[in-house]
Amino acid sequence: MPNQQVTQLSHVFHGLADPTRRAVLERLSRGPTAVSVLAEPFSMSLPSFLQHLDVLESCGLVKSRKSGRVRTYQIRPQAFRTAEGWLEKQRTIWNRRLDQLDTYLADLKEQK
Amino acid sequence: MGSASVIQTNPELDLVLERVVDVPRELVWAAWTKPEHIKKWFTPAPWTTVDCEIDLRPGGIFRTVMRSPEGQEISGAGCYLEIVPNEKLVWTSALSPGYRPAIKGTGTGSCEELYFTAIILIEAQGTRTKYSAIAIHGDRATSKRHEEMGFYQGWGTALDQLVTLAKTF
Repeated sequence: MPNQQVTQLSHVFHGLADPTRRAVLERLSRGPTAVSVLAEPFSMSLPSFLQHLDVLESCGLVKSRKSGRVRTYQIRPQAFRTAEGWLEKQRTIWNRRLDQLDTYLADLKEQK
Repeated sequence: MGSASVIQTNPELDLVLERVVDVPRELVWAAWTKPEHIKKWFTPAPWTTVDCEIDLRPGGIFRTVMRSPEGQEISGAGCYLEIVPNEKLVWTSALSPGYRPAIKGTGTGSCEELYFTAIILIEAQGTRTKYSAIAIHGDRATSKRHEEMGFYQGWGTALDQLVTLAKTF
């Protein structure tokens, strides 16, 4: 059932599938936060922690900006709304699938 | 003798789509039941169906392999539940071939594994054909995803919290 939206949705799930990343999101839900502050509660190395932030950003769950030497992360609420509209996504997939079927059927008929 | 199977749809979980096409219903049936046809239309572009296996009998396999433009492949296999030629086709992704219950989250790209049962109803309307595609799903979308994606306990709660949170932004 993949299309662009479902791919986006599965990215969201991938982002949410890890406890460290969920903890980061919960922290970010209180507002934009600098990397150093985000990393504090975790015992892992900074490079490992930064990888989690990269995953969250590539999933579209968070965005970051750099000001001087400080990189600050914040939540992208649109990503969560993507997860919410799951049934609508399914509807889109099925509609596109049936559009393709109808086009294909019309082509088959013409060929006969 | 068999009676009609029970189908109960729920608008909060399920999809019911109806189309009328200007082709005979035998052609619509063929498009849903022959691999060479399925490969031409089944997967929404830009993804494509690169392989399809069909054993058209109850418990028989319905397998597709879909490929992304980047070359990522996702294979999904389900089984047929009901087959009435030119009238009705039912299959599910929640059972493996032979009715064996599917194991959660084992597929490649298991994030995409959203179990469903599909029901295709076909009827002639003069020279045209009306078909309905009904997709039924197991549970509310969020809890469903939680269960079926094979993530550990606590995931559903976390997602629910985050979704609730997102609504307040």
